[in-house]
Formats: sequence, structure tokens, C-alpha cells
Amino acid sequence: MKDLLDKRLLWVGGKGGVGKTTVAASLAVLAARRERRVLVVSTDPAHSLGDVFDRQLGDVPRRLLPNLDAMEIDPDAEVEAHLTRVTEQMRRFAAPQMMAELERQMRLTRQSPGTQEAALLERLSRLITAEDPEHDLIIFDTAPTGHTLRLLSLPEAMAAWTDGLLAHNRKSEELGKVLSHLTPKRGRDVATPFDDPQEDPLSGLDERTRDVARTLIERRRLFHQARRRVEDPECTGFLFVLTPERLPILETARAVAALEAVKIPVAGTLVNRVIPDEADGDFLRARRQQEASYLARIDAELGHLPRPRLPWLPTDVQGLATLEELADRLEAIGF
Amino acid sequence: MHDDHDKPHDPRLERIRAWLSQARFFAEEVYSSRYRGAIARARRDEDDLFMLLVFSEMMGVPNPAAYYTLELQPLLLERFHDWHKRMGMERSPLDHFKCC
Repeated sequence: MKDLLDKRLLWVGGKGGVGKTTVAASLAVLAARRERRVLVVSTDPAHSLGDVFDRQLGDVPRRLLPNLDAMEIDPDAEVEAHLTRVTEQMRRFAAPQMMAELERQMRLTRQSPGTQEAALLERLSRLITAEDPEHDLIIFDTAPTGHTLRLLSLPEAMAAWTDGLLAHNRKSEELGKVLSHLTPKRGRDVATPFDDPQEDPLSGLDERTRDVARTLIERRRLFHQARRRVEDPECTGFLFVLTPERLPILETARAVAALEAVKIPVAGTLVNRVIPDEADGDFLRARRQQEASYLARIDAELGHLPRPRLPWLPTDVQGLATLEELADRLEAIGF
Repeated sequence: MHDDHDKPHDPRLERIRAWLSQARFFAEEVYSSRYRGAIARARRDEDDLFMLLVFSEMMGVPNPAAYYTLELQPLLLERFHDWHKRMGMERSPLDHFKCC
């Protein structure tokens, strides 16, 4: 796990309530200490990242410590921005009588299931691919499996639609040329439609279609690049936080399997809230027994990955002081 | 085939040449018209296939990239309008797709 914080992108995932945000924040503190300029990004609408740092966070990076910035993405704001951009682009070319219908469709999209997720994914992709001169490491405190798996298939899904449009327009253009060639023109020279191989995919399109195609191609390229970075183990690492309990283990094993199935690099798991040795009493003895069986299960199911442990702490983790302590512990267990 | 300008003007030859030229024109027309029809139909089929793609969601095939291809909406609206006109429908048959 030593080189995890040397990567460019780190995704910290895990079921709600296992301490994912706390671990992400502590890793950020540790990395910042090592002179890596870190940006922590959260997508949680419950503002858990802000809570753990005990600070208010927003849509732009906010400096919390030397070398440590944090931000929270607001999916609704992303959706609004996207729809506004699309509407303005449409307005330049769409017939006025169509604008009313188009604006109505934009409003419907806002409520559509999957819209927030899609907007979020696009923002994440921009963060993933941006040449950011201000940060060396970006830590994503978010549910990585869903995002990642969707991201993997997006370029193809988009291609199916974008290429469909371009192929249609280009093909229609070519068919038109063939048609005119087949109509005999007595005494006139007819150029063959095949004498000028068009490499440019935008050729044969009117200005408006070209405009749209360019936007879609750019967007597809964005997802393509994001996917490449996410699949590169030099660049990206996935860390799953779990507690020695039934549901977190199930969920983590599933998430790890899903990512490994598509060759995404899972760096390891972190077992959080293990009952400390010094905790005593009959109650804890019983709990410790149960926990032991879960720890054994974690060793069995996730044994192929590093799985360091963090103890259950006597109090909640909040504020920079506690995070610094937790950063020390993380260093001690190999980060 | 090239004209032999050295030969003297023979009215019969001229008539044959004219007839050959006409025949060639008609032969080309017969050849071309078969394909012209096919190509024109291919263009329409292309459009219909595109319409199918557009409304795949209605037919139970969701488009995971719908949000990312919103810029296509005006083009789709117009193309849909042309399509329903071509199908002989005066107005848009869909409640949620009012192009006209």
C-alpha cells in the first residue's frame, strides 16, 4: 500500500457508514504531509466530507491545510449547467417554433432518473483528465464501482449514437452523389463520387450538424481519456473500506469482483473499526468473537489483496486534530 | 469509339450514329433507373432505421448515453417531422414529441 499515495488518482469506496469519508480525509492529510498537493473530491449530498473536516465545502477547491484542498460536487448544479449550455447551443440553430418543444424536453431531462449520475460522471471525467498543475493527487470520496463501470461503456454507447448520426448524414450525401452520377448527363462531364476519399468525418455535413457532431466527438473523447486513466494502475488505485460485518463484506467482495472482471486495478481494502485489544468486558468479548469470524471471512474472500486494519476509536473522528492522529495510524499500517 | 472525321458525310451513317446515340441513352436510363430507385429507397430505409434508433427507448431499448446526446434533439425533431410527413401523417403522432 506504500505507493498508493504516489498515484495520480485514488478512489476510496465502501458502503455507507463504514468510515469511507474519514479514511479518505485521513489519507489526504497523510499525503499532504508528504508534500503531495492533494485535492479531495466528494459527491455526497449529505456533506459528509465537510463534516469530517469540520468545514464548509463548495464546488471549487477550498484550501484546508498546506497542500490540502477539498471540494464537494453538486450534481444538481452540474445538471443545470449542462442543460443551459445545450439550450444555448440549440438556440443558435433551431427553428423558433421548435425551441418551445426543445426547452420542454430539457425540463423533462432534469427529472429523468440517471440524469444526476450522468452529470456527475461528466464532471468526474473532467477532473480525471484535466492537466491540473495545482494538484499531484486527487482522492475521490465516492461510490467508485457504479461510476467506473458506467464510465467504461460510455464511449461505445456514445459512439453508437454519434456515429449513427454522422454515418447517416455522410451516407446520405454519398448516396446523393451516386444518384446524380447515375442520371446520365449528355455531353457533360460527370466527376465520379469516389475520386476524393474523405478522411474528415465532418465532411459533407452542414454547419449546424457539424457543430453538434464536434461537441459530441469532444465529449466521447473525454470519456475515452478518462477511461484510459482509470484503467492504468500507474495512474489510478481503488481502495475499499469495510468493517468486519456481514453486509459490508458482501458488498465489498461484489464491488472488487466487478472491477477486477473489467481489469480495473484494485489496490486493496481497509478493515475499519476493529475492536482494539485493550477493550474489555463480557460484552466486548462476545462482540470480539463475532468479529473474529468476520475477520476470517475477509481473509478468505479478499485474501488476494492487502487488507490492513484500523481500530475502532473511542470517539467520532471530526476535525483536523483527530484526522492527523488517524493519518499517523494509517502510516503505521503501511500507507 | 471515336468519330472518324476523315470519312465523307454519309446520311445513312449519320442516321445510324444518331440511332446508336439514342439507344445508348435509353440503355443507360434503363440501367440507371433500376439503381436510382434502389438508392432512393435505401435513403428512405436509412431514415427509417434512424427513426427506430431514435425511438428505441420508447420500444424498450434504453439509451445509456441519452443525457450526453441532448444536442441531437433539434436534428432528431426535424428529421422526425420529415418522417411523419413522408408517412402521410399531417401532425406528429406522438404526444411527447411535438415537432409541429
